[in-house]
Amino acid sequence: MWEVIKSVLAAFFGVQKERQRQHDFQHGKPGAFIAVGIVMAAVLVMLVAAVAIMAAR
Amino acid sequence: MRKTLAWIMGAGSFLGLASSTLANGWNMPAGVTDVSREIYSLHMTIFWICVVIGIVVFGVMFYSLFRYRRSRGAKSANFHENTSVEVVWTAVPLLILVGMALPATATLKRMYDASEADLDVMVTGQQWRWHYEYLGENVSFTSSLSTPRSQINGEEEKGENYLLDVDQPLVLPVGRKVRFLMTSDDVIHSWWVPDLAVKQDSIPGFVNENWVRIEEPGIYRGQCAELCGKDHAFMPVVVRALEGDEFDSWLAERRKEAEAEASGVDREWSMDELMERGEQVYGAICATCHQPDGSGAEPTFPALAGNEALLNDRDRHIDVVLNGVSGTPMAAFRSNLNPVELAAVITYERNAWGNESGDVVQPSEIQALLEQ
Ligand code: HEC
Ligand SMILES: [Cu+2]
Repeated sequence: MWEVIKSVLAAFFGVQKERQRQHDFQHGKPGAFIAVGIVMAAVLVMLVAAVAIMAAR
Repeated sequence: MRKTLAWIMGAGSFLGLASSTLANGWNMPAGVTDVSREIYSLHMTIFWICVVIGIVVFGVMFYSLFRYRRSRGAKSANFHENTSVEVVWTAVPLLILVGMALPATATLKRMYDASEADLDVMVTGQQWRWHYEYLGENVSFTSSLSTPRSQINGEEEKGENYLLDVDQPLVLPVGRKVRFLMTSDDVIHSWWVPDLAVKQDSIPGFVNENWVRIEEPGIYRGQCAELCGKDHAFMPVVVRALEGDEFDSWLAERRKEAEAEASGVDREWSMDELMERGEQVYGAICATCHQPDGSGAEPTFPALAGNEALLNDRDRHIDVVLNGVSGTPMAAFRSNLNPVELAAVITYERNAWGNESGDVVQPSEIQALLEQ
């Protein structure tokens, strides 16, 4: 699970290690990456919204 | 050593050229409000950040192209990915962007805070003029282009403020927070005065807010910034900023005039009074098209002097002036002129330049028509 989260974070940032990529493609399940990706996108949106709300106060 | 010197001199003359270009009126103005100066310094900060980035990036690029060219036996490196370099070139731009966004957002926030204004002015765009109303002060007027037609048509030399002059500028006080409520009667316009750093769309059916606190008295000019039809270029904005007490007496004067006019609607006006008032209105508004002597400019602008058809049809005359002729430059004046001005200008046209209808149009008659 932690591996999947790390890879999704790397994808958000836009840089991934080649070794990790090989590992993901051989051992990971696509469904897990998609699910974690959606959840983390939602978290990102909420984080940005929270910062915006705080700044607007 | 000499090479370095050449580089420094090159970079120096580039920077010198850049700053003198900026100083020569190519740049945006710093303006005369706190916000406009903030925007200006943001603009300059970001500009110089871009200049530095440009110099570094292109410097490295050109240096590498030159230094490691094939004729000097350079061999291309053949490796794939370098995670730390990639992290650096992702993180550095991110930090630069966030660093620029923080002050920019703080300024935006200030720009949007139109609360606690000392004065509210409703700005209404109309094809092709601006209407200003000082809310709660019973003062309102229309501000239209005053550049003579002859300059526009190239028959006369263009003046200094060509297409940037109006009959009645918007008058504002210095040092007070003025809130604008922007809307439109017809299509989307945009009220833009660079020195005040205000550029706000005026949209039919919406009210947009904006505000200024002008710091220096003076005349500030701008234009409609949203393509709004044929005469888009002919609806400039002129703001005259006065010291607080001068502004107060100006406003009191205008309020008195408005009250006098309002009370004038009910009373009976004499022919002479209407002719005198009508001449002023005609000269200020109608003469640009119909000419000061009423001779018009056929075939576009009909003559009003000696226009028998018009003189024989009083009702049509009133109707044209109140409601305009759609699809022609003849605008509807019912909301731009008050009943006294309308009655006066119609009376004037029916009795000036040898027109001898003898008709008097009373403000009360116009008032009744407007209320229908
Ligand atoms: C932007 C130019 C313009 C301005 C300013 C203007 N007019 Fe006109 N006016 C016209 C045009 C064009 C016509 C002809 C409309 C048509 O085709 O029927 C016209 C027609 C008229 C007519 C009808 C003439 C006829 O024989 O049918 C009257 C009356 C008139 N204008 C009065 C005024 C008055 C009063 C004002 C000022 C308050 C004024 N106009 C300002 C352009 C203008
Ligand atoms: Cu416009």
